[in-house]
This record gives sequence, structure tokens and C-alpha cells, in this order.
Amino acid sequence: MDQSDNQLIAAALAGSLPAWDALVRRHERRVYNLGLRLLNNPDDAFDLVQDVFLGVYRNLYRFRGESQFSTWLFRIVHNKAVDLIRRRQSGPEIEDWFEEGTPEPANDLPGPLDSYLETEMNQRISQFMSRLPPAQRLIVELKVFQALTFEEIAPLQDIPVNTAKTRFYTALKNLKTMIEAQT
Amino acid sequence: MSCPHTPEIIADHCDADIPPEVLKRHRVHLDTCKVCQQELISLRGVPGELLRWQSIPLPDWDRSGMVKSTSRRKTFASRSYQWPTIRQWLPLVASLLLAVAVVTQTRLSVGPQGWSVSFGVPSGGLSAEQLDEYLTAHANTLQTETRQWVEAALQTHGQITADSIYQWMTYIEQQRALDVQRMDAGFDQLMNRDFQTVDTVRQLASYVMYQEAP
Repeated sequence: MDQSDNQLIAAALAGSLPAWDALVRRHERRVYNLGLRLLNNPDDAFDLVQDVFLGVYRNLYRFRGESQFSTWLFRIVHNKAVDLIRRRQSGPEIEDWFEEGTPEPANDLPGPLDSYLETEMNQRISQFMSRLPPAQRLIVELKVFQALTFEEIAPLQDIPVNTAKTRFYTALKNLKTMIEAQT
Repeated sequence: MSCPHTPEIIADHCDADIPPEVLKRHRVHLDTCKVCQQELISLRGVPGELLRWQSIPLPDWDRSGMVKSTSRRKTFASRSYQWPTIRQWLPLVASLLLAVAVVTQTRLSVGPQGWSVSFGVPSGGLSAEQLDEYLTAHANTLQTETRQWVEAALQTHGQITADSIYQWMTYIEQQRALDVQRMDAGFDQLMNRDFQTVDTVRQLASYVMYQEAP
């Protein structure tokens, strides 16, 4: 029988490595795929996973169970992702992309972590995402893939709800233009 | 051509939890706004296009590695009751030491005999007693000089005439001017000392005013 997040957390806090392992396995895939879409690079996505769960490990004793673990986890994911995007700035801004014409693949060299490239659709989507400005990229990720409401997104990004909606609308328009340019 | 409602309508269209009254308001608006209609038709497929993303499994990795490397020093349970480390205390201790040094006026000096630490007002400063002594001695000197001058003047002029009184007064004026110059020099010397001598300067100033009063 599957244990709940809170049971796994309690066991991990008591020093159980299998419980910690199970907790990470349960949530790592979501974090990894978010990293792939936001960072467009499997190595960076893997770095994000490790950063996130190291942060979770260090702060797990602070988790009081007042909210869902996934919500608490996602705050850490969001902050780490913003940090990584700022550091890497993996793609040119959308305006630059239109001037450059056809985009180059983000990573030409095959590697052991390039399994995400197996699906052409994933590659296209992560390329589109990486060409959005970071703020728009995060809004799309939070809204479309994480299914957060704009009332939840706004405080995460420290912006008003209307600004979040406008930013999302602009991102959709940019994505639409990219999709049309590729077809 | 644009409509200010377009961003909100497009965003709310992607929100599954939109309240019914908001949805109704948007529908009424869409009935009359061609711009919003066209934008909605144009963009409504974009989220679906993105959701064609296929979830990718993570490469295998050592999930417990971070726990093992960190738990040698700290465990989950012990973190809740952990005392602050020396590194966390260090800024507070340094601040306290600095505050004590300022309050006690600690001075660190290097001399021929090596380093030395002193506290409080430096011994080279002018104390209130020293100032009193100085002022008393100065007053005595002035009185003696005046007495000597009067005796010399009486010997020189013998009898008091109008001319001798005039010369006497002129000489007194010159002496007073000289006294003021000396006091100015004394002021300058005192003002060059540290802040604690300001009080003694004030005393000296009141003394000078007293001396110049008719």
C-alpha cells in the first residue's frame, strides 16, 4: 500500500532512507520535465532536480503539513528554476529570435541524458518555450503544465493577477507565431 | 485594432476554475467584440499544442546520496534542536566587542615598547583641575604684571598729570589687546584637542568675558 507524502516525510525525518528515496521518486519526474521545458537542456534539468531535492532535504524539518507537500515543493522548484534561468539564460529573447530566422537546435551533440530528444514533439515544445522571455516562459509553465490558477501564479511571481494574465496572453501570441512559422 | 479585455478573456479561457458569472460576462462581451472573438479562435489551440509534451523519465541517480553525505554531520531530527554554530554567532560577538570598545573609549597604540591598550580619556587630555590651575596662574601673572607696570609708571612720571594719565590708559589698552591675543592662542590650542575639552573651552570663554567686563 502506498504511503502518503506526510507519512513518507515523517519517516524520512526519523532517518529512514527508503522513505526519502520513495518521496523523491514520487515527485522527481514532474520536476525533471519542468526543467526540460524551462531550461531546454537535460543536464540543466537534472541539475535542477538535484538542487530542488537538496533544498527539500535541508528544509524538510520546516514542513508542517499545513499545505500539500506538492504545493510546498513547487515553491522550491519555482525559486530554483528562476535562479537557474537567470544564470543560464539558455535562449535568446523572443524579439531576437524573429530577427535570426530559423532557430538552431539547442544541443547538437548527443549525450547520455538526451533521451528527451527521442520525441520530436518534446524537442519542438522545449525550443518554443526556451525562446520565450523567462517571465513569459514561467507563466506558461505554471498555467499550462502545472495547472495553477492566476491567483496562485501572481504571488509566486510577485506580480498582480492582471499582469499575469496579460503576460500569459502575450506568451500565447508569441507561441502561436512560432508554431505557425514551423508548419 | 485591439481591445483592452482580450488578455483577460484569453487567460480566463484557459482557467478551468473560472467563476460562472465571469464566464457569462465574457460571453456577453464576445457577442459584440470581433477582436476578442478572433484572438480566442486564434490562440485557443496553443495550450493544447503544448500539452502534447510527453513526460520523460529521469535517468537513474543516487537519490540518497545527498542524505548520506549530509547526515554525517546533521540528521533531520537534530536540526530542529540545533544550537547556532560559531559562524552564526560570530557577527553578534564582533558587534558586541565593537560596542564595548566604543563605550569604554578603548585605544590601541604602538610605541617603542610594543602594543598597548588604554581605556577612557587619554592621559594627555586637559582635566578640569588642570584648567583651574592654569586660569589661576594666568590671573596671578596678570595681576603681578599690572602691579609692576603701575609701580614703574609712577616712578617714571612722578606726579600724575593729564599726559601721564593718557599714556597710562594707552598702555593699559595695549596690555588688554595683548591679553586677548594670548587668550586667542589659548583657544586655538584647546580647540585642537579632542571633544571632551569643549567644556573647558566654554569655561575659558566665560573667564575671558569676565576679564573684559568693565
